[in-house]
Amino acid sequence: MKKLFFTSILICATAAGFTQLTTTLVVAPQPPASLISWTQRDLNFIVVNQSGATRQVKIKTELKTTDGTIVGSTNLAKARIVIVGFGNDIFSIEDVFSPVLMQFTGKVKTSLDKTGKLPADNYQLCVKLVTPTDFVPISEEKCRNFTIAALQLAIPVMPANETTLKPEAAQSVITFRWTPVAPQPSSPVTYRLLVFEVLDKQTPMQALRSNLPLLQKEVTGITQYIWQPQLAMLTSGETDSKATQPIKRTFIWTLQCLDSKGQPLGDGNINGDGISEPAIFYVGKYTN
Amino acid sequence: MQIQKPVFLLFLVCTVIFTSAQTDSVQKKKNSIITGGTVGISYEHYGLSRTPSGWTGFLPRKPWNQVRFMFSPNIQLGRHISMPVNFNFATTPTNFAGPYAGIDKQSFSQFITNPMNNFALNPKYKWAELLLGTQYLNYSDLSTGDIGVFGAGFDLRPGTYRIKFFTGLSQQSVNFFTGPPATTGAYKRRNWMFSLGKAQDDKYELSLNFVKAKDDSSSANPPPLTIKPQEGFTTSVSAKALFKDGWYAKAEGAQSIYTKDLLLPLDSTKAAFLPFIDGHASTVRDFAGDASVGRKSKNFDIGVKLKYIGAGFQTPGYPFMLPDRFDYTLNTRFNAWKNKDGIYKMNVVASAGQRVNNVSNNTLKAKQFIGNLNWFTQFSDHFSLNINFNNFGFQAPGGINPYGIKNVSNDFGINPSYSWSNEKMAHLLSLSYNYSKYDERDVISGNITSNNTHMALLTYVPTFLTKSLSPDFSLMYFTNKLPSLKFTLVTVSGGISMPAMKKKMNLRTQVQYNYSKTNSYKNNSNIIASFNSDWRITNKLTWTTFISTNRFKYGNEIVPNYASYLESNVRTGFQYRFEK
Repeated sequence: MKKLFFTSILICATAAGFTQLTTTLVVAPQPPASLISWTQRDLNFIVVNQSGATRQVKIKTELKTTDGTIVGSTNLAKARIVIVGFGNDIFSIEDVFSPVLMQFTGKVKTSLDKTGKLPADNYQLCVKLVTPTDFVPISEEKCRNFTIAALQLAIPVMPANETTLKPEAAQSVITFRWTPVAPQPSSPVTYRLLVFEVLDKQTPMQALRSNLPLLQKEVTGITQYIWQPQLAMLTSGETDSKATQPIKRTFIWTLQCLDSKGQPLGDGNINGDGISEPAIFYVGKYTN
Repeated sequence: MQIQKPVFLLFLVCTVIFTSAQTDSVQKKKNSIITGGTVGISYEHYGLSRTPSGWTGFLPRKPWNQVRFMFSPNIQLGRHISMPVNFNFATTPTNFAGPYAGIDKQSFSQFITNPMNNFALNPKYKWAELLLGTQYLNYSDLSTGDIGVFGAGFDLRPGTYRIKFFTGLSQQSVNFFTGPPATTGAYKRRNWMFSLGKAQDDKYELSLNFVKAKDDSSSANPPPLTIKPQEGFTTSVSAKALFKDGWYAKAEGAQSIYTKDLLLPLDSTKAAFLPFIDGHASTVRDFAGDASVGRKSKNFDIGVKLKYIGAGFQTPGYPFMLPDRFDYTLNTRFNAWKNKDGIYKMNVVASAGQRVNNVSNNTLKAKQFIGNLNWFTQFSDHFSLNINFNNFGFQAPGGINPYGIKNVSNDFGINPSYSWSNEKMAHLLSLSYNYSKYDERDVISGNITSNNTHMALLTYVPTFLTKSLSPDFSLMYFTNKLPSLKFTLVTVSGGISMPAMKKKMNLRTQVQYNYSKTNSYKNNSNIIASFNSDWRITNKLTWTTFISTNRFKYGNEIVPNYASYLESNVRTGFQYRFEK
C-alpha cells in the first residue's frame, strides 16, 4: 500500500513537472550536413516555465534514424546545467546538439570522425529536459524530422581545365558549362560565375584571390552561360616586349553556389564560401 | 596602408630610371652583378560610363586606377652566389575572393601578405637556397602548392638529398566589417611546411612532406561571423620513377587531420598527431591518393591516371580542392601517316575518363563521364584539317526530387585551313564550325531540354611579302537555341599590324563589331576598338601602351530599355630588361 502511494506521488509530481515545463523544438527540414555549420537558423529549443520558480535542468538530445535506431545522444555527464527561469528560454546548438556534447555510434560516428558531416539520410532529432543529477525526464520529448542531403558543389566543365580557345572566337563568345549542385536542393541554386584574368607574373590562384573578376554573373537554376567577353583578345595589352603579338592569355574561372536566400552553399568546406575548385583556360594562338 | 600616391609614383619612376642607369654602367664592367631579369612600372586607368545614370546593370571590371611595379633582377655575386629577386606589387587592393575580399585600406602587414603582391628574395649558394618573402611552393599534388606564404625557409639539395622547410603567414587578420565595403574578415594564418626526400634527375624522386597551418583565433577583432579559426596538418609520401623507353610511374598517398573550429574544446577521442596537431571536437581525419603510370615517347604517349580524395580530406595547401571524389582517366597521343620526308602528317590526342562524386555516399553517388578527341591532319602543304569531339555526361540521383540529374554535352568541331601564295602575297583561309548539344533533365518534371549551339568562324589572313602591313579579318556566326530562347550573334572583326620608327616600334589596331539578338527583342550592338604600341626605345628599354574602348548598347531585352555602357582602358608601362 505504501509502495503504491509513493509511486502515485511520483507520477503526479512528474506529471505536474511536465505541465509546468512546456517545450517547443524547431529544426530546419534540410540543415547543413556539417555539424559545426548548424546555426540558430537550423535549430531552436524553446522552454516555457510556468511553475513560477527557476528550475535547474539538463537538455537530453537523441538522434535517430527513420527506423528508430538511436545513433547519437547527449553525454549528460558533460552537459552543463541550465537554469530555466520564469517565462521563455531559447536554447540553440551549443546546449542542444553540440558536437562537443553528443556521442555518436556506428556509421554516423565514422562519418563524423572522417568528414565532420552526418551521412546523407533522413533523421529524427528528439529533445527533452531531465533533472541534473539523476537525469529523470521532466518535460515531454519533442521530436522533429530532417533530411541531410550532403550537397556537392558545382564543378566547372567547359571550357575544360587547361584547354586553349581560339582568340578569334573567344573575343566574341565563350560558353561556360558546369555540373549542378548535387543532389539538387528543393529550391533553385543560384550560380555566381566568376572569371578572372591571370596577369603577368601571377599564378592562377593568386589571380583568383586578388583580382577583380572580369565576369561576375548570377544565373539561377541553369548550368550554362554564354559570355560575350568584349575584350580585345587579338591584342594582348600586356606590358611586355611581345605586346603586339597575340600571345596566350590565361584565365581562371569558378562558381560560387548560393541558396535561395543568397547564402553560400559551402557546407563544411575549408573556405565556407561556396566557391568550387576552379579551372584554367587559355586564349591564344595554339589550340589543343 | 595610406600610401601617398604621387610620392609613391615618383619613387617608382625614379627607381626604374636609377636602376636602368646603374645597371647599364655596371654591366659594362666585366663581372656583371645583375645578370638577368626585368624592372618595370605600369599604370592602368579604367573608365566606365553607364546610361541612363544610376543604372548598375554592368559592373566595373577593373580598378579605376592601378599602378603595378615589378622589380625582378637576378643578382650574381661571384661564381657560386646568385640571388633572384621578385618584387611585384600594386598600389590598389582589388581582392574579390579569398580572405582579403572587399578590403579597402590595408595595414602594412596586410599589404605585404596580400596575394596580389610578391616580395621575394631567393639567395642561392651552390646547392643551398634561402627562401625569403613571398613564396609559392609546390611540394606535391596533395600537400601544398596553391598558397603563397610570406616568411622564411630553405631548399637544400646536397647530392641526391632534398631538404625543404618554410614558415610564414599565408594571410593576415582582417577584421569583420559590415561595410561599405563589407569585409567577411579572416584570422591570421601561419603556415609551416617541411619536406625530406631523395631525388636524381630523370631517374627518381621520393619525398616525405609535412604541411601545417593554424589560425590565430584572437587575431581578428571583431572576428569573422561566418568563418571559424582552423588548423590543419597533412602528411604525404610521394614517389616518382622514370624507366627505360619513356615509361614512368608516379604515386602519392596523404593523410589530413583538420580542425574545422579551433574554438571548440580539445577532445581526446578525436584524431591527433602530437606534437603537431591536437584533436578538438571538430577535428576530422581522412586520406587521399593519386597514381599514374604510362609511357612517353616522340610519337606515342599513353597513360592512366587515378585520383581519390576522401570526403574529409582537407589540406591548407589546396584550399579549393574538391573532396569526396574518385577520378580515373586514360590519355593517349600519337603521330601517324608519314610523308615522303619522313615527317608525320597526322596527330591524334584523346582522353576518356570518369569522375565519381559523393563517393562516400552509396545512395547519392554522382557520375561524370568525360571524353575528348582532337585529330589533326596536314593533307598537303596547302590544306590541313582539324576535327575535335568532346563529350561529358553528369548523372546523379534525385535526392528529395522525383527525378535524378542527367546532363549530357556533346561538342563536335571541324576546322579546315587552306593557304596559298604568289610572289607578292601569302593567304590563309580558315573555317571553323562547331556544333554543341547540351541536354539537361528537369529534376521536378523529368522533361529533357535540349540546348543547341552552332558556331561558324571564317578567318582570312593575307600577308604582303613586299610590304610590312599584316592585316587579318574574321567573321563569326553564333546561335544558341532552347525551346523558349533563340540567341544569335554575328561578329565582324578586322585588325592590322605594322612596324614603325625603323622597326623599333610595332603597332597594332583592331576593330570588332558584334550584333546580337535574343528572341524577337530589338538587337544589341557592340563595338570594340583597341590600339597597341610596343616601342623598343633601346635594346633593353621598352615602352608599351594599350588603349581600348568598348561600347555596348542594349535593345529592349532588359529594363531600362536601350541602356548602354562605355568602357575605356588605358595601360602604359616601361620595362627594362637586364639581359645583354
